[in-house]
Amino acid sequence: MTDNETQLKLQAFLDGELPEAEAARMVDRLARDTECQALFAELTATSHALAGFETGVTHPESREFFWSKVARQIDRAAKPAARPSPTPWLRLVLARWLTPAAAVAVLAAATLVSFHSGLLPGQLVKASAPPSHADIADSGAFTYRDFGDHTTLVWLSYPADSEVADAEPPVSWE
Amino acid sequence: MRLNSRRKAAVERMVEKDYSSSEDAALVKASQGGDMVAFEQLVARHRDKVFARALSMVRNEDEAVDLSQEAWVKGWQRLPQFLGESSFGTWITRIIINLCLDHLRKQKRQRVESIEAMDEDSGGVERQLPVVTPNPTARLERQELRQRIDQALNQLSYEHRTVLVLHEFEEMEYKEIARTMGCSIGTVMSRLFYARRKMASLLASFKRNDLT
Repeated sequence: MTDNETQLKLQAFLDGELPEAEAARMVDRLARDTECQALFAELTATSHALAGFETGVTHPESREFFWSKVARQIDRAAKPAARPSPTPWLRLVLARWLTPAAAVAVLAAATLVSFHSGLLPGQLVKASAPPSHADIADSGAFTYRDFGDHTTLVWLSYPADSEVADAEPPVSWE
Repeated sequence: MRLNSRRKAAVERMVEKDYSSSEDAALVKASQGGDMVAFEQLVARHRDKVFARALSMVRNEDEAVDLSQEAWVKGWQRLPQFLGESSFGTWITRIIINLCLDHLRKQKRQRVESIEAMDEDSGGVERQLPVVTPNPTARLERQELRQRIDQALNQLSYEHRTVLVLHEFEEMEYKEIARTMGCSIGTVMSRLFYARRKMASLLASFKRNDLT
Protein backbone atom coordinates (compact mmCIF):
# COMPACT_ATOMS: atom_id res chain seq x y z
CA MET A 1 0.00 0.00 0.00
CA THR A 2 1.35 3.42 -0.99
CA ASP A 3 1.96 5.63 2.05
CA ASN A 4 -0.21 8.63 2.80
CA GLU A 5 2.40 11.20 1.85
CA THR A 6 2.92 9.60 -1.54
CA GLN A 7 -0.84 9.43 -2.11
CA LEU A 8 -1.25 13.14 -1.39
CA LYS A 9 1.74 13.98 -3.58
CA LEU A 10 0.24 11.89 -6.36
CA GLN A 11 -2.96 13.91 -6.05
CA ALA A 12 -1.04 17.18 -5.98
CA PHE A 13 0.75 16.02 -9.15
CA LEU A 14 -2.62 15.40 -10.80
CA ASP A 15 -3.81 18.86 -9.76
CA GLY A 16 -0.63 20.58 -10.93
CA GLU A 17 0.24 21.66 -7.41
CA LEU A 18 3.47 19.71 -6.98
CA PRO A 19 6.77 21.65 -7.25
CA GLU A 20 8.72 20.92 -10.42
CA ALA A 21 11.47 18.82 -8.82
CA GLU A 22 8.99 16.62 -6.98
CA ALA A 23 6.82 16.34 -10.07
CA ALA A 24 9.77 14.86 -11.97
CA ARG A 25 10.29 12.29 -9.21
CA MET A 26 6.58 11.44 -9.31
CA VAL A 27 6.75 10.80 -13.08
CA ASP A 28 9.57 8.32 -12.43
CA ARG A 29 7.61 6.58 -9.70
CA LEU A 30 4.46 6.36 -11.82
CA ALA A 31 6.47 4.67 -14.58
CA ARG A 32 7.51 1.77 -12.33
CA ASP A 33 4.83 1.53 -9.57
CA THR A 34 1.60 -0.18 -10.68
CA GLU A 35 -0.20 0.66 -7.45
CA CYS A 36 0.48 4.33 -8.01
CA GLN A 37 -0.66 3.98 -11.61
CA ALA A 38 -3.99 2.46 -10.52
CA LEU A 39 -4.61 5.16 -7.91
CA PHE A 40 -3.67 7.88 -10.37
CA ALA A 41 -6.10 6.41 -12.92
CA GLU A 42 -8.91 6.35 -10.33
CA LEU A 43 -8.33 9.96 -9.22
CA THR A 44 -8.21 11.09 -12.84
CA ALA A 45 -11.41 9.23 -13.73
CA THR A 46 -13.29 10.71 -10.75
CA SER A 47 -12.15 14.18 -11.69
CA HIS A 48 -13.29 13.65 -15.29
CA ALA A 49 -16.66 12.25 -14.15
CA LEU A 50 -17.32 15.40 -12.14
CA ALA A 51 -16.39 17.75 -14.97
CA GLY A 52 -19.43 19.57 -16.29
CA PHE A 53 -21.69 18.28 -13.52
CA GLU A 54 -23.17 21.73 -12.88
CA THR A 55 -23.68 22.45 -16.56
CA GLY A 56 -27.34 22.30 -17.45
CA VAL A 57 -28.59 22.94 -13.91
CA THR A 58 -31.26 25.61 -14.17
CA HIS A 59 -32.96 27.78 -11.57
CA PRO A 60 -36.41 26.32 -10.84
CA GLU A 61 -38.16 29.72 -10.79
CA SER A 62 -38.97 31.92 -13.76
CA ARG A 63 -36.78 34.93 -14.46
CA GLU A 64 -39.57 37.39 -13.63
CA PHE A 65 -40.65 35.71 -10.42
CA PHE A 66 -37.12 35.33 -9.10
CA TRP A 67 -36.28 38.93 -9.95
CA SER A 68 -39.44 40.21 -8.25
CA LYS A 69 -38.31 38.49 -5.03
CA VAL A 70 -34.78 39.87 -5.30
CA ALA A 71 -36.02 43.40 -6.09
CA ARG A 72 -38.47 43.33 -3.19
CA GLN A 73 -35.75 42.28 -0.78
CA ILE A 74 -33.42 44.99 -2.09
CA ASP A 75 -36.18 47.57 -1.59
CA ARG A 76 -36.87 46.34 1.91
CA ALA A 77 -33.20 46.41 2.85
CA ALA A 78 -32.82 49.95 1.46
CA LYS A 79 -35.56 51.41 3.64
CA PRO A 80 -34.21 53.13 6.76
CA ALA A 81 -34.71 51.22 9.95
CA ALA A 82 -37.65 52.27 12.15
CA ARG A 83 -36.82 55.00 14.65
CA PRO A 84 -35.86 53.31 17.88
CA SER A 85 -37.90 54.00 20.98
CA PRO A 86 -36.18 56.01 23.70
CA THR A 87 -33.61 54.03 25.57
CA PRO A 88 -34.46 53.05 29.17
CA TRP A 89 -32.13 55.70 30.65
CA LEU A 90 -33.78 58.39 28.53
CA ARG A 91 -37.19 57.24 29.69
CA LEU A 92 -35.96 57.43 33.28
CA VAL A 93 -34.71 61.00 32.84
CA LEU A 94 -38.00 62.01 31.23
CA ALA A 95 -40.02 60.53 34.08
CA ARG A 96 -37.81 61.73 36.92
CA TRP A 97 -36.95 65.27 35.86
CA LEU A 98 -38.83 66.55 32.87
CA THR A 99 -42.32 65.74 34.12
CA PRO A 100 -41.91 67.58 37.47
CA ALA A 101 -40.20 70.44 35.66
CA ALA A 102 -43.22 70.75 33.36
CA ALA A 103 -45.55 70.77 36.37
CA VAL A 104 -43.55 73.54 38.02
CA ALA A 105 -43.63 75.54 34.79
CA VAL A 106 -47.42 75.24 34.53
CA LEU A 107 -47.79 76.32 38.14
CA ALA A 108 -45.50 79.30 37.64
CA ALA A 109 -47.43 80.36 34.53
CA ALA A 110 -50.73 80.18 36.37
CA THR A 111 -49.37 82.26 39.25
CA LEU A 112 -48.07 84.85 36.84
CA VAL A 113 -51.47 85.10 35.15
CA SER A 114 -53.18 85.61 38.47
CA PHE A 115 -50.74 88.39 39.46
CA HIS A 116 -51.30 90.12 36.13
CA SER A 117 -55.02 90.14 36.79
CA GLY A 118 -54.35 92.18 39.99
CA LEU A 119 -55.37 89.54 42.45
CA LEU A 120 -53.32 87.76 45.03
CA PRO A 121 -53.47 84.02 44.87
CA GLY A 122 -55.55 83.91 48.03
CA GLN A 123 -58.17 86.26 46.53
CA LEU A 124 -59.01 83.87 43.77
CA VAL A 125 -61.49 82.02 45.87
CA LYS A 126 -63.21 85.27 46.75
CA ALA A 127 -64.11 86.20 43.20
CA SER A 128 -67.74 86.94 42.36
CA ALA A 129 -68.44 84.07 40.04
CA PRO A 130 -68.66 80.73 41.75
CA PRO A 131 -65.36 78.98 41.30
CA SER A 132 -65.14 75.33 40.48
CA HIS A 133 -62.50 72.71 41.09
CA ALA A 134 -61.88 69.15 40.13
CA ASP A 135 -59.35 66.62 41.10
CA ILE A 136 -58.55 63.82 38.71
CA ALA A 137 -58.45 60.58 40.51
CA ASP A 138 -55.10 58.79 40.63
CA SER A 139 -53.36 61.38 38.50
CA GLY A 140 -52.08 63.52 41.35
CA ALA A 141 -53.47 66.65 39.61
CA PHE A 142 -55.91 69.23 40.98
CA THR A 143 -57.42 72.05 38.92
CA TYR A 144 -59.04 75.29 40.10
CA ARG A 145 -61.07 77.50 37.76
CA ASP A 146 -62.16 81.03 38.66
CA PHE A 147 -64.67 82.06 35.99
CA GLY A 148 -64.80 85.65 37.20
CA ASP A 149 -61.13 86.20 36.62
CA HIS A 150 -60.82 83.77 33.77
CA THR A 151 -58.10 82.02 35.69
CA THR A 152 -57.28 78.37 35.92
CA LEU A 153 -54.86 76.84 38.35
CA VAL A 154 -53.50 73.36 37.85
CA TRP A 155 -51.94 71.74 40.89
CA LEU A 156 -49.71 68.81 40.16
CA SER A 157 -47.98 66.68 42.68
CA TYR A 158 -45.11 64.40 41.76
CA PRO A 159 -44.60 61.53 41.91
CA ALA A 160 -48.28 60.84 41.43
CA ASP A 161 -49.94 58.35 43.72
CA SER A 162 -46.80 57.97 45.78
CA GLU A 163 -46.72 58.03 49.50
CA VAL A 164 -44.69 61.23 49.41
CA ALA A 165 -47.31 62.99 47.28
CA ASP A 166 -50.14 61.82 49.53
CA ALA A 167 -48.32 62.84 52.68
CA GLU A 168 -47.51 66.39 51.59
CA PRO A 169 -50.30 68.89 52.41
CA PRO A 170 -51.42 71.16 49.57
CA VAL A 171 -49.96 74.63 49.62
CA SER A 172 -52.42 77.15 50.98
CA TRP A 173 -52.54 80.71 49.61
CA GLU A 174 -54.99 81.92 52.21
CA MET B 1 -51.79 52.25 -6.52
CA ARG B 2 -48.26 53.36 -5.69
CA LEU B 3 -46.94 49.89 -6.41
CA ASN B 4 -48.70 49.85 -9.78
CA SER B 5 -47.14 53.14 -10.77
CA ARG B 6 -43.73 51.86 -9.72
CA ARG B 7 -44.23 48.70 -11.74
CA LYS B 8 -45.32 50.76 -14.71
CA ALA B 9 -42.25 52.92 -14.38
CA ALA B 10 -40.05 49.83 -14.22
CA VAL B 11 -41.66 48.40 -17.35
CA GLU B 12 -41.18 51.72 -19.14
CA ARG B 13 -37.52 51.70 -18.19
CA MET B 14 -37.23 48.12 -19.47
CA VAL B 15 -38.70 49.19 -22.78
CA GLU B 16 -36.37 52.17 -22.94
CA LYS B 17 -33.21 50.21 -22.16
CA ASP B 18 -32.35 46.97 -23.87
CA TYR B 19 -29.33 45.53 -22.14
CA SER B 20 -29.56 42.04 -23.62
CA SER B 21 -26.51 42.57 -25.83
CA SER B 22 -24.45 44.56 -23.32
CA GLU B 23 -21.21 43.23 -21.86
CA ASP B 24 -21.14 42.32 -18.16
CA ALA B 25 -18.69 45.16 -17.48
CA ALA B 26 -21.13 47.72 -18.90
CA LEU B 27 -24.00 46.22 -16.91
CA VAL B 28 -21.92 46.35 -13.73
CA LYS B 29 -21.07 50.00 -14.34
CA ALA B 30 -24.72 50.89 -14.94
CA SER B 31 -25.76 48.90 -11.87
CA GLN B 32 -23.18 50.69 -9.75
CA GLY B 33 -24.92 53.88 -10.82
CA GLY B 34 -28.19 52.54 -9.41
CA ASP B 35 -29.69 51.12 -12.61
CA MET B 36 -31.73 48.12 -11.50
CA VAL B 37 -32.69 47.18 -15.05
CA ALA B 38 -29.02 46.56 -15.77
CA PHE B 39 -28.70 44.57 -12.57
CA GLU B 40 -31.71 42.46 -13.51
CA GLN B 41 -29.90 41.56 -16.73
CA LEU B 42 -26.89 40.41 -14.68
CA VAL B 43 -29.17 38.33 -12.48
CA ALA B 44 -30.80 36.74 -15.54
CA ARG B 45 -27.40 35.87 -17.01
CA HIS B 46 -25.76 34.36 -13.95
CA ARG B 47 -28.62 33.06 -11.82
CA ASP B 48 -28.39 29.47 -13.10
CA LYS B 49 -24.70 29.22 -12.25
CA VAL B 50 -25.22 30.78 -8.82
CA PHE B 51 -28.11 28.42 -8.10
CA ALA B 52 -26.15 25.38 -9.37
CA ARG B 53 -23.24 26.19 -7.08
CA ALA B 54 -25.55 26.59 -4.09
CA LEU B 55 -27.27 23.30 -4.93
CA SER B 56 -23.94 21.47 -5.24
CA MET B 57 -22.97 22.71 -1.81
CA VAL B 58 -26.16 22.52 0.26
CA ARG B 59 -27.89 19.64 -1.57
CA ASN B 60 -31.38 21.06 -1.03
CA GLU B 61 -33.29 22.90 -3.75
CA ASP B 62 -35.34 25.20 -1.50
CA GLU B 63 -32.32 26.23 0.51
CA ALA B 64 -30.34 26.76 -2.70
CA VAL B 65 -33.09 29.06 -4.05
CA ASP B 66 -33.17 31.10 -0.81
CA LEU B 67 -29.40 31.34 -0.61
CA SER B 68 -29.05 32.38 -4.23
CA GLN B 69 -31.67 35.09 -3.66
CA GLU B 70 -29.68 36.32 -0.67
CA ALA B 71 -26.51 36.27 -2.77
CA TRP B 72 -28.08 38.59 -5.35
CA VAL B 73 -29.27 41.01 -2.69
CA LYS B 74 -25.78 41.04 -1.17
CA GLY B 75 -24.35 41.42 -4.66
CA TRP B 76 -26.41 44.57 -5.21
CA GLN B 77 -25.42 45.99 -1.82
CA ARG B 78 -21.71 45.28 -2.35
CA LEU B 79 -21.54 46.40 -5.98
CA PRO B 80 -19.74 49.65 -5.08
CA GLN B 81 -16.90 47.48 -3.71
CA PHE B 82 -16.56 45.47 -6.94
CA LEU B 83 -13.54 46.90 -8.73
CA GLY B 84 -13.36 44.37 -11.56
CA GLU B 85 -10.26 42.40 -10.41
CA SER B 86 -12.15 39.25 -11.46
CA SER B 87 -15.10 38.68 -13.77
CA PHE B 88 -18.52 39.52 -12.38
CA GLY B 89 -19.45 35.82 -12.64
CA THR B 90 -16.52 34.81 -10.44
CA TRP B 91 -17.28 37.60 -7.96
CA ILE B 92 -20.95 36.70 -7.50
CA THR B 93 -20.04 33.00 -7.30
CA ARG B 94 -17.67 33.73 -4.42
CA ILE B 95 -20.52 35.49 -2.63
CA ILE B 96 -22.77 32.42 -2.93
CA ILE B 97 -19.92 30.12 -1.83
CA ASN B 98 -19.38 32.17 1.34
CA LEU B 99 -23.12 32.26 2.07
CA CYS B 100 -23.37 28.50 1.62
CA LEU B 101 -20.38 27.93 3.90
CA ASP B 102 -21.95 30.09 6.62
CA HIS B 103 -25.24 28.23 6.17
CA LEU B 104 -23.58 24.80 6.36
CA ARG B 105 -21.55 25.76 9.43
CA LYS B 106 -24.71 26.89 11.18
CA GLN B 107 -26.42 23.64 10.22
CA LYS B 108 -23.49 21.62 11.47
CA ARG B 109 -23.59 23.29 14.86
CA GLN B 110 -27.20 22.18 15.13
CA ARG B 111 -26.64 18.50 14.44
CA VAL B 112 -24.47 15.64 15.50
CA GLU B 113 -21.16 15.19 13.74
CA SER B 114 -21.51 13.11 10.62
CA ILE B 115 -20.04 9.66 10.29
CA GLU B 116 -17.87 10.99 7.50
CA ALA B 117 -16.19 13.44 9.84
CA MET B 118 -15.67 10.70 12.40
CA ASP B 119 -14.03 8.58 9.71
CA GLU B 120 -11.63 11.36 8.93
CA ASP B 121 -10.76 11.87 12.58
CA SER B 122 -10.28 8.17 13.22
CA GLY B 123 -7.42 8.17 10.76
CA GLY B 124 -7.33 7.76 7.05
CA VAL B 125 -10.20 5.52 5.99
CA GLU B 126 -9.53 6.73 2.45
CA ARG B 127 -6.15 4.99 2.49
CA GLN B 128 -7.78 1.63 3.05
CA LEU B 129 -10.32 1.89 0.22
CA PRO B 130 -9.56 -0.49 -2.63
CA VAL B 131 -8.72 1.25 -5.87
CA VAL B 132 -11.69 1.25 -8.23
CA THR B 133 -10.75 -0.24 -11.55
CA PRO B 134 -11.68 -0.23 -14.35
CA ASN B 135 -13.25 3.22 -14.57
CA PRO B 136 -16.88 2.63 -13.43
CA THR B 137 -18.23 5.74 -15.11
CA ALA B 138 -16.78 5.16 -18.56
CA ARG B 139 -19.89 3.80 -20.24
CA LEU B 140 -22.56 5.64 -18.32
CA GLU B 141 -24.99 7.95 -20.02
CA ARG B 142 -24.65 11.58 -18.94
CA GLN B 143 -28.03 11.57 -17.18
CA GLU B 144 -27.25 8.39 -15.28
CA LEU B 145 -23.84 9.67 -14.29
CA ARG B 146 -25.45 12.89 -13.05
CA GLN B 147 -27.84 10.91 -10.85
CA ARG B 148 -25.00 8.84 -9.42
CA ILE B 149 -22.92 11.92 -8.68
CA ASP B 150 -25.97 13.53 -7.05
CA GLN B 151 -26.40 10.56 -4.74
CA ALA B 152 -22.70 10.33 -3.97
CA LEU B 153 -22.44 14.05 -3.15
CA ASN B 154 -25.33 13.63 -0.69
CA GLN B 155 -23.33 11.05 1.18
CA LEU B 156 -20.27 13.20 1.75
CA SER B 157 -19.93 15.41 4.79
CA TYR B 158 -20.18 19.11 4.01
CA GLU B 159 -16.45 19.60 4.60
CA HIS B 160 -15.48 16.94 2.05
CA ARG B 161 -18.16 18.00 -0.42
CA THR B 162 -17.19 21.65 -0.18
CA VAL B 163 -13.51 20.95 -0.85
CA LEU B 164 -14.49 18.81 -3.83
CA VAL B 165 -16.89 21.44 -5.20
CA LEU B 166 -14.41 24.29 -4.75
CA HIS B 167 -11.64 22.32 -6.44
CA GLU B 168 -13.51 20.53 -9.20
CA PHE B 169 -16.21 23.07 -10.08
CA GLU B 170 -14.76 26.39 -8.97
CA GLU B 171 -11.21 25.31 -9.94
CA MET B 172 -9.70 26.85 -6.84
CA GLU B 173 -6.11 26.09 -5.84
CA TYR B 174 -5.39 24.38 -2.53
CA LYS B 175 -4.29 27.55 -0.76
CA GLU B 176 -7.39 29.42 -1.94
CA ILE B 177 -9.65 26.64 -0.63
CA ALA B 178 -7.75 26.67 2.67
CA ARG B 179 -8.31 30.44 2.97
CA THR B 180 -12.00 30.17 2.09
CA MET B 181 -12.65 27.31 4.51
CA GLY B 182 -10.37 28.56 7.26
CA CYS B 183 -8.20 25.41 7.46
CA SER B 184 -4.66 24.32 6.55
CA ILE B 185 -3.51 23.28 3.08
CA GLY B 186 -2.74 19.85 4.51
CA THR B 187 -6.36 19.50 5.63
CA VAL B 188 -7.56 20.55 2.18
CA MET B 189 -5.35 17.93 0.50
CA SER B 190 -6.48 15.24 2.90
CA ARG B 191 -10.19 16.10 2.53
CA LEU B 192 -9.94 16.28 -1.24
CA PHE B 193 -8.23 12.92 -1.40
CA TYR B 194 -10.83 11.33 0.82
CA ALA B 195 -13.71 12.95 -1.12
CA ARG B 196 -12.38 11.71 -4.46
CA ARG B 197 -11.80 8.19 -3.22
CA LYS B 198 -15.21 8.05 -1.58
CA MET B 199 -16.84 9.37 -4.77
CA ALA B 200 -15.08 6.70 -6.85
CA SER B 201 -16.22 4.03 -4.45
CA LEU B 202 -19.83 5.29 -4.36
CA LEU B 203 -20.06 5.75 -8.11
CA ALA B 204 -18.91 2.16 -8.59
CA SER B 205 -21.27 0.73 -5.99
CA PHE B 206 -24.57 2.26 -7.13
CA LYS B 207 -26.77 -0.20 -8.94
CA ARG B 208 -29.01 0.87 -11.76
CA ASN B 209 -32.18 0.19 -9.76
CA ASP B 210 -30.95 2.50 -6.97
CA LEU B 211 -31.23 5.43 -9.28
CA THR B 212 -34.97 5.58 -9.82
